[in-house]
Amino acid sequence: MTDANALNQASCPRVVVLSLASDFGCQIQITNFPELLAMVGTIDLSYWQLATSADMPDSYDVAVIEGAVTLDEHVRLLQQVRKTAGVVIAIGACAVTGGVPGLVGTGDLDTARDLVYGEDATIVKQHRLVPAPVSSVIEVDYRVPGCPIDPAEFSALLQQALLGARERLDRTPLCAACQTIENPCFWLRGKACLGLVTRTGCGALCLSRDRACTGCRGIAADANLESARRYLREGGFDVKAFDKALEVYNTYEVNEVARS
Amino acid sequence: MFFKIIDKESIVDLYAGLAAEYDEVTGPKTSPKDPRYVKFGKIRDASQLRLDYKTSIVPPKKYFLAADERLMRYDRTTGEVYDTEPPLQTRALIGVHPCDINAILMLDDIFLNEFEDPYYKVYRENTFIVGVSCMPSPTCTCNSFGADEVHRGFDLFLSDLGDRWFVSVRSVKAAAIVDRYLDAREVTADDTRAFQERTKRFKKALPKRMDLDQLPLLYDAKYDYPLWEDIGKDCLSCGACSVVCPCCYCFDVRDTLSADGRVGKRHRVWDSCLASEFAEVAHNHNFRPKAADRVRYRFYHKFVGNFTRNGKMLCVGCGRCTTACKAFIDPQRIVKALESEDTPASAGTRKGGGAQ
Repeated sequence: MTDANALNQASCPRVVVLSLASDFGCQIQITNFPELLAMVGTIDLSYWQLATSADMPDSYDVAVIEGAVTLDEHVRLLQQVRKTAGVVIAIGACAVTGGVPGLVGTGDLDTARDLVYGEDATIVKQHRLVPAPVSSVIEVDYRVPGCPIDPAEFSALLQQALLGARERLDRTPLCAACQTIENPCFWLRGKACLGLVTRTGCGALCLSRDRACTGCRGIAADANLESARRYLREGGFDVKAFDKALEVYNTYEVNEVARS
Repeated sequence: MFFKIIDKESIVDLYAGLAAEYDEVTGPKTSPKDPRYVKFGKIRDASQLRLDYKTSIVPPKKYFLAADERLMRYDRTTGEVYDTEPPLQTRALIGVHPCDINAILMLDDIFLNEFEDPYYKVYRENTFIVGVSCMPSPTCTCNSFGADEVHRGFDLFLSDLGDRWFVSVRSVKAAAIVDRYLDAREVTADDTRAFQERTKRFKKALPKRMDLDQLPLLYDAKYDYPLWEDIGKDCLSCGACSVVCPCCYCFDVRDTLSADGRVGKRHRVWDSCLASEFAEVAHNHNFRPKAADRVRYRFYHKFVGNFTRNGKMLCVGCGRCTTACKAFIDPQRIVKALESEDTPASAGTRKGGGAQ
């Protein structure tokens, strides 16, 4: 749980940024954000995997985690992090939904390994796991979804975390935000768009550039997949293609739903 | 109110006059992303106006209740609070359909009555409204809600008579605009006849009126009927209906901090009662946890809640939700569902877990 009191007492909370399986894109995204400089002085960036070569310190207040859980060692690391940090923040699609690495979960791990690495398959580490979000292993206090994350959303959330505010992750699909900025609806124009079931909060960024939603923020908690598929069927859209597109960022959750 | 006739081309003069008198002129224009869609936006040249438009994605309510309005700024280091005064910019809003003007009158009742909203009030007072006539689309049900006609809520109204506009002048400000900028002539008997014919054509093109006399009573009587579960199963909880509804006015108030956390702003943003957060309170208690509860609530507010308060239903039949909803939930469906044969749910089903 968030230890807000401990954080308030620490004048300059020590923050570590670490990665599991990912392309480090969200960490790079943070560096792309000029306002990051404004945070200097309000936090002590004790460890940043992308930018430092030092070892992770033994003690810190906030852990920012990027990437999906794909190895046994990730599980051990996360358990250690949870014991140490007062606050755990998962950033990016990989850490929040399993993201693109999660796609492996659509089939068999060894088949996927052989397909990707061929003769070099032996270099692939042992003890691999079906890629999963951080929250499947430890309790996560805050999540910043998206591929990549929006640095402004991240910094705003970090401030909320430091204040001990409750996580306020959007639950509804994207359509309301997309209609608010008056994008002509993709579905009405005969094109598939995952915004119908994808968590809002990005300000319909892709749609405003006339690109359909690919679902990177994860399936919205309030989403109604069954009704969405009914709409597709009645409208003559390809339901299988919709489900396939949904897998790109949401395989873990789709599989979870199928299992339950 | 008095009436004048202007040529079709005089819309250029009207635009020029309004552009001279007001800080900003807005109206229906083609969406840059797809010419089949229209949205209200800033007009820089009269040729941008699409006065023959069918509907806009979002109604003109956005000019009175902004989608995101800052209410105050604050400095956490000093504890100072700076109220945000409503902007004093004046605006001419051209091309508002009768349904949408009726919707603005509904919003007036919400925001200028018992609890006066300072932002809404200033926007409303600083906006010159030019209405425009329309012909019904297949999604229109304005006549069922008495919103096909409009007698107030505008400064100027343009009725399309083919080669000329029949101009209704309602306000002093509008009379001044007509006097100063328009080459308007008196109305002849021919013009009046043409106006009557246009009105007849419009009325004839409207769909059959829904009988809503019993709706509020029926709603209460069938409040616990299974029909709500059925409709709830379809709802996508996306809230697009609330965004495009000219009568939906709910908002959320949020605090947003700067990156360094030193300063922040409090702002209000459009909200929808179909979102699960909407009725969630302390300790995560939710008054309407299920989509079925929320859909029932949304239309209850429109058809019963507001009706018992002031005799008006919060719907003008503009048809935007019919287009926006991918779950085919709209007022027509609700009315039909309430009128259909149905039986009350057993107490067991409603309480959950007690079904046989």
